[in-house]
Amino acid sequence: MARDATLVVETTRLTKIYQNRNIAINDVTLAIEPGHVLGLLGPNGAGKTTLLRLILGLHRPTAGQVKVFGRRMTPNAADLRRRIGYIPTNPQFPRGMTPIAYLDYMARLFGLPRDIRKPRLASLIRAVDLLNASGDPIERFSHGMTARLAVAASLINEPDLLIWDEPTHNLDIEARRSMLELIKTLAAEKTLILSSHNLNDVDEVCNHTAVLHHGQLIFHGSLSELKGRIRKNHYELDLEGDQKTITKAVQIIKTMNEFSKVQLKQRRLELLLAADASNCTALANVFVTLADNKVNLVSIRSVGQQTEQAYLDLVETEESRGFTRLYSANEAA
Amino acid sequence: MDAVTIPIRLKYKRWLPYLAVLQTDIRQTMRSWVYRLWLLAMFLLGFGYLLYRLGVHREAGVIQEANLVMSDLLRWVVLGSAAVIAAITVGSISSERGTLADSVLSRGISRYQYFLAKWHARVLTVVATFMILSGVMLVASHFLLHENLSLTGSLAALLLVSSLFFLVASAGVTLSALTNDSRVAMTLLWLALYGGGALLELLPSHHPTPDRILRHLPATLRGEFDPTLVTDVLGYSILASTLVAAIGLVGFSRRDV
Repeated sequence: MARDATLVVETTRLTKIYQNRNIAINDVTLAIEPGHVLGLLGPNGAGKTTLLRLILGLHRPTAGQVKVFGRRMTPNAADLRRRIGYIPTNPQFPRGMTPIAYLDYMARLFGLPRDIRKPRLASLIRAVDLLNASGDPIERFSHGMTARLAVAASLINEPDLLIWDEPTHNLDIEARRSMLELIKTLAAEKTLILSSHNLNDVDEVCNHTAVLHHGQLIFHGSLSELKGRIRKNHYELDLEGDQKTITKAVQIIKTMNEFSKVQLKQRRLELLLAADASNCTALANVFVTLADNKVNLVSIRSVGQQTEQAYLDLVETEESRGFTRLYSANEAA
Repeated sequence: MDAVTIPIRLKYKRWLPYLAVLQTDIRQTMRSWVYRLWLLAMFLLGFGYLLYRLGVHREAGVIQEANLVMSDLLRWVVLGSAAVIAAITVGSISSERGTLADSVLSRGISRYQYFLAKWHARVLTVVATFMILSGVMLVASHFLLHENLSLTGSLAALLLVSSLFFLVASAGVTLSALTNDSRVAMTLLWLALYGGGALLELLPSHHPTPDRILRHLPATLRGEFDPTLVTDVLGYSILASTLVAAIGLVGFSRRDV
């Protein structure tokens, strides 16, 4: 009970089936603690937005339940939503409104009295750099400007929990960078749930991840745990020395069974480990060979974006499990 | 010495979300092309017909009874407006499904407040618009045509017609809350309106059906009406509208948006 009270979001065996036709969320049990910056990952149609809508009470679960701040979320739980700031994927705005009118409307939807909401909306308009456009109709805004306005709207109630559905979607490089910096700043004092397709973004700002695949939660844990799951099997080595000796050393390495691919491009050696090879043993053999041939090692690095690789591995593993997932769903999660 | 910060407990205004949606919805409805078209049609029809009757009176010397002209006018307004009111009300919630509704319902508003605000906004817009325009037409006909209108009779006639619009608007908002598609809601509402109207005519003659109310309008406008009948019609209309809205309220609070 005491543990429940500390959780910001808790879903228990959450299931959503639309009109007995489409299983959008399947038995998802998830706990998000205060201070977590959770990256919600998954391919299109995995159920990310559905999960967020269930957390917000916009959708009702077919089975299971959602608790937010220790209380059950329902479509009428307005007091719980007062503590949440939400940005949908493609925020839509009522026609004919200016940013000031829109933010005032949003603040009134939270029940904020005039003496609180007016100064707050003015500060937010300034903070998201819309001061010069504060009197313009929103329909004339660019993607970047609407994204900034959506951010301001999600912060107007000073929420404890932020739920942002693909906040960097459609943003240019500069706007995306600003958004990521903002998320990092907010992460210091708020709990965030970010749904994203962009693994680089998740890698940069999140400390926890949840991976959904066909509505099922296939991973939930810290980002380092996710990265720890990947098998590091692809390396690049920058070498220094006489080209002939390097070539000779590489010829020896090519005879080793531990590698499925050994390729030398000028002085860069690319190594791909065989499926059952131990990376420590294989690399030790490589280092010995290089040393024996008087070849210097300038640098060594693991190739590939780790989070992306880990995510792809998870999805691939999940797909290859077939019917066995029925008996080890808990283990997978 | 360090200053001690005492957190201020923010007092939320409980009904502010309701008022925000109500106000915004009235504004949005009045900006919609359907509403403006309705307003224009009512204005052109009403004043065009009044001027025509005035012309007949002035040029041909035929006395134009204000109560007959106004009852004709109100009957046309009711028949024409029912379809437009259906269009105005059925889009109130269903057309906002998706991210636009998300941006409202994900804030600190309950489904109950949202539905009530939408219902009240549409009913208020429809009834107030009708009352104001018809009131102006009644005043104009009083001065322009052969004056035989009674004040209480005119008020009773406006209340009777408004009660019909109240029911139509309530049914429209309810269907909008219970269906995902405005076109489906509109079809259902039209079926209910015209089918229901036809079925009501099967009731015994002492029951006040919409058609009988409209046929009795010339006498009502002259002040010849049964006050009990007017209060009965208003009571039935409020009761039926509340029941219909309650179905919408409960249904909407259990639906996905």
